[in-house]
Amino acid sequence: MSTTRDPVSGARHEQATEPVGAHRAGAPGRVRITPGQTLLVVILPLLAIALWQVAVWVFSPREWILPSPADVARAGWDVRDRLWFHAGWTILIAVIALAIAVSLGSAIAYLVARSRLWSLAVYPWVIVSQVIPLVALAPLFVLWFPPFAAILALAVLMSIFPVVVAGVDGLRGTDPDLVRAARGLGASERWTWTHIRVPSALPRLFTGIRLAAVFVVSGAVVGELVASDRGLGALTRLTAGQFETAVTFAAVLLLGVIGLCLFGLVALAERIALPWTRRATRPGS
Amino acid sequence: MLDGVDFVARAGEATAIVGPSGCGKSTLLDVLAGLRIPDSGEADPGGDVALMPQGDALMPWLTMRDNVAMGARLGGVPRAEAVGRADAAIAALGLARFGDHYPHALSGGMRQRAALARTMLAGRATWLLDEPFGALDALTRSEMHDVLRELRANEHPTILLVTHDVAEAVALCDRILVAGPRPMRIVDDISVDGGDPAATASAVLTSLRQAGALA
Repeated sequence: MSTTRDPVSGARHEQATEPVGAHRAGAPGRVRITPGQTLLVVILPLLAIALWQVAVWVFSPREWILPSPADVARAGWDVRDRLWFHAGWTILIAVIALAIAVSLGSAIAYLVARSRLWSLAVYPWVIVSQVIPLVALAPLFVLWFPPFAAILALAVLMSIFPVVVAGVDGLRGTDPDLVRAARGLGASERWTWTHIRVPSALPRLFTGIRLAAVFVVSGAVVGELVASDRGLGALTRLTAGQFETAVTFAAVLLLGVIGLCLFGLVALAERIALPWTRRATRPGS
Repeated sequence: MLDGVDFVARAGEATAIVGPSGCGKSTLLDVLAGLRIPDSGEADPGGDVALMPQGDALMPWLTMRDNVAMGARLGGVPRAEAVGRADAAIAALGLARFGDHYPHALSGGMRQRAALARTMLAGRATWLLDEPFGALDALTRSEMHDVLRELRANEHPTILLVTHDVAEAVALCDRILVAGPRPMRIVDDISVDGGDPAATASAVLTSLRQAGALA
């Protein structure tokens, strides 16, 4: 055993003293993926597509009921300009709505955590509002607002909830020792909010934002389904109505890809913004 | 929680308060640091105290340099100068290479040294240390005792060290106040200077036993 003060070797040594089971499970937040597992991740969807293709060959349903993967790929490629046009609208709505949900949701979370009045008067209603199926509100929004605003409002409403809840939990869950340390050095209560509680809430807030990134696409699609002739939601309605089922499938797959990309972008932003969370736990604490 | 806690700490002196776990020692420090208002009685540290809580309580989102600089910032030092002082303090503690590291990448002893440096840079005359080394292994703790002795020699702070480790109190302090269990009260005042450490330690233990703090 060396007496080096290198923190890396120190951490390795501490890991080695852990029980074998814990070591095999890996550190939290840092799951090691073997090549076999990577292969599985790639093979499973391929297998599903293959099964789908085989099913279409065997049962040969009419193409407007269930097109084969090859039909979907061909149709998608043929109307690629149309797909991109609609995808552009959906992406635009999703990104703007996510930005609004994150800024507005964080502000609401801060006020709820900070003020008793907000916590008692506003927070319960934020939670109750989620009981209402937002899809049911869509026709009303269309009545009240121009299409773009209606779709944006639905997407924001669908995605703001996880941001608020995660933000409130994060702010309320601040380690009291950190606050005591700052107060004990002369910090004011106000200072601890901006310098201690807010940064310590960021990891949880990002968890909420990642969920929001997924929900915001659903919200945009619901809005486009009822209120617009632009966007992938509108495209699925139009093409399904005209039995262009292969294009509908292509649009749905593209929606999945958009959701995945948004989720990935938020995760990337988190890695860049919070370099200190890259190893989730501090050894020996 | 507190009842009949009456003492005067002399400037530049290190006083230990030794008592059983949960007897109200942390509450006492909160009162002295002005974080809690006593129901009755007075605590007058002259407003010039820095409190260091249990464990290291470093901010995980700040590098060690910024953590240490936080002490100076809260002491009213402008940002650039605070960072300069932090670098100097870090270097003096033998941690110059690790200024850019986040706390999770540091060993327990390094984090504790950084926490002491942060307390030191607040520039207060009195340091309130709340079981600062309780979470460390024995070897690292001895090392930290050395670090604290060195800081005392250079900075001459008045120290109030709360601990339930009698040996630590004897090793680090000039004077030991023995605290009885809830409500906390001071039952004995033992001077350390010059005496045989083992004899002092057993005097402290005898007081604790008489106060009913030991089963």
